[in-house]
Amino acid sequence: MNGSVAMNHESLRKNLTWWMAAAALLVGCGKVEPPPFRLNMTQMVSNETPTSPEYQQEIADVLGAMFGTPDEPYAVPEAGLDLSRLRMAAGAAWSDEKGTNHGLYRKHCVHCHGITGDGRGPTARFLNPYPRDYRQGVYKFKSTYNADRPTDDDLLRVLVNGVPGTAMPSFSLLPHSELEALVEYVKYLSIRGQLEVSLAAYVYDDLGEEAEVDENGDEKVDSEGNEITKRIPLDPVNDPEQREVVMELLAEIIEGWESSAEKVVIPSEDHIPADNRNAEEIAASVAQGRELFFGTRANCVKCHGPTALGDGQQDDQDSWNKAHKKFLQDMVNAGDQEGVHPGIVASRAEVVASIYTVRNAIPRNLRQGIYRGGRRRLDIFWRIYTGIAGTPMPATGPASPGAQGTLKEEEIWNIVDYVLSLPYETPSRPLKALPVNLEAVN
Amino acid sequence: MFRNHARKSESLVVAKHGIGCLLMLFSVLTLAGCQQNTDLGPVANAATSVKIREAFSAGVTESGSSESVVAAGTGWATIKGKFVFEGSPPEMAPYNANKDEATCKIDGKAPPQETLLVDSGSKGIANVVVFLRKTSRVHESAEPKADSVLFDQKACVFLTHVFPLTVGQTISIKNSDPVGHNTNIEGKNGFNQTIPANETVDFLPQKEEAIPQAIRCSIHPWMIAYYLPRKNSYFAVTAADGSFEISNVPAGEKLEFQVWHEIGTGPGGALLLDTPEAKELKWNKKGRFVVSLAEDEVREVQLTVPPTAFGG
Repeated sequence: MNGSVAMNHESLRKNLTWWMAAAALLVGCGKVEPPPFRLNMTQMVSNETPTSPEYQQEIADVLGAMFGTPDEPYAVPEAGLDLSRLRMAAGAAWSDEKGTNHGLYRKHCVHCHGITGDGRGPTARFLNPYPRDYRQGVYKFKSTYNADRPTDDDLLRVLVNGVPGTAMPSFSLLPHSELEALVEYVKYLSIRGQLEVSLAAYVYDDLGEEAEVDENGDEKVDSEGNEITKRIPLDPVNDPEQREVVMELLAEIIEGWESSAEKVVIPSEDHIPADNRNAEEIAASVAQGRELFFGTRANCVKCHGPTALGDGQQDDQDSWNKAHKKFLQDMVNAGDQEGVHPGIVASRAEVVASIYTVRNAIPRNLRQGIYRGGRRRLDIFWRIYTGIAGTPMPATGPASPGAQGTLKEEEIWNIVDYVLSLPYETPSRPLKALPVNLEAVN
Repeated sequence: MFRNHARKSESLVVAKHGIGCLLMLFSVLTLAGCQQNTDLGPVANAATSVKIREAFSAGVTESGSSESVVAAGTGWATIKGKFVFEGSPPEMAPYNANKDEATCKIDGKAPPQETLLVDSGSKGIANVVVFLRKTSRVHESAEPKADSVLFDQKACVFLTHVFPLTVGQTISIKNSDPVGHNTNIEGKNGFNQTIPANETVDFLPQKEEAIPQAIRCSIHPWMIAYYLPRKNSYFAVTAADGSFEISNVPAGEKLEFQVWHEIGTGPGGALLLDTPEAKELKWNKKGRFVVSLAEDEVREVQLTVPPTAFGG
């Protein structure tokens, strides 16, 4: 009896030792912190808006005030975002007893698009194309003019259909309310990212070091005759003028999102080809589209190549990759970085190392019948009319309502017909497609 | 006894389970690397963020003062000057024209690049941009215009390498080549449209930029130019002899000018000068200098630019 009690104590002690060891391990790691939003460090240490660590912290704090955290999102009323939808999408992924899903973004999106929406989730570097970085507010597959933001419907369409030919799957099995929550959350991450860039530009342009002046308004100098300067902090709490500027910067971004519905390109009824065209009519339109494709007005051949395999001009990058390429070049050219804040210089090497391999924009192979932005005739029309934002693909329609376009709508519909015929047309002299996505292309 | 026995085996089971759990926990922790976050940069401080949020929810008073500079004088003045290269003019390599060579090369040779143009005689530096950052008032001659600015391209070269304009002016993008181009404008006024051979397409920028923005052609990626849309025409681009003039700027107030060159080594292309005459103008690390002009004064500045200002 005694022995077994002793045994019990013994095992209890063993147990305790283990649990203490476990506790020690856990303590060693601290509580598992919820993931935070991170700054756009490529912007912060860039040549354009070099932002010192003090300013970085202040920008992070302002963004924290205006957007909250990944677990507790917030939106100032001026942002016009639906907080209940954001809450549905934010936070840890779990389901409650009623079966309501929470943390949708982390359940479905984060592994590619990342907590901050920077397109740098754990899987991102293995994907081609890279997942979208939302922080510029630029989206490729949309119905609005080239420089305009997408509509909610545009983002929803991408979620429902996925992006064929890429790693982006369809989420059509999700209930509509969940899709709406995700659309809102993606916009939220975009607006946060856009404001971050605006704040970095504001801090660089208008704040920074300022000469200290004495009571007579004369500039103070040190014993060696150099000006004494002080840093103007980004401090909207104590500086009402800065509060105003921040709200103006936000308003400018929000305006772009809220006006997007008015910027949708709606094809004119007069030129939409009829549904009941006969074979001759379609063939005539295809022939005209082919003419334009190879001509010097539409210029399609320059990039999509004489065989339409996407083997024309392959030397350019999309705006995301181009920004990285420029950043890397700037860092090589930065030389001894004299005059750059040491805190910026210190983190530049790490940021350079964090950048994924720059890839060229490879024009679409039009003979595969895979259309990333959708295969409806309207989708192809939008691609040709508005171009593809953020990529080398230019618009052939006007840049904004009422502006001068390059092609007429009926000509664009001709090209739509030709493009849609390409997967079924045998090239007269089939050429092998060039290898895509190879660093060799660079 | 039975009970004890049962308890004993129970605790053994617990112990076994405990060890199993611990092993799992341990391996998970090892794999997770103690949740080490390899992301860079600072994160928001929760307490500070709350304070800022409260300040914002208290409302923003529209003072209208955020952009304005207080008028401190009357009358107008002029600033002019010259940028002179210190050293021998660099030789410009030809553009790397590797597409449409029949059009983009003349007698089998691509035109020379315009990255750094130094006049062989006067050593003047062309394409330096000088512009006033902020102003309290604008003379009528510097008000935004509504005409159009021709922006042509030939032999796959933009014929105007650097140009400013006021918001309100239309850029007439012309293509004088027999091949198609597209014009891709970076910055806040995004634009990317095909420009057919021998045709012109108009574009009206809507927003001011803080520094010149790149214009490219995706079909011929070596093509490059820069433009600067501003709300007033207090700007100048140096001529081939390096000279510039900005007239009718407000007198009696501190004027801060930004100086930019395509390959200036400062932030975003800011031209950094450390010469005695630059120091006198309080030239800073952002490529900006400050002057205060008296009414009807014509200030002339002569600036020597060492090759190091261009990374040389």
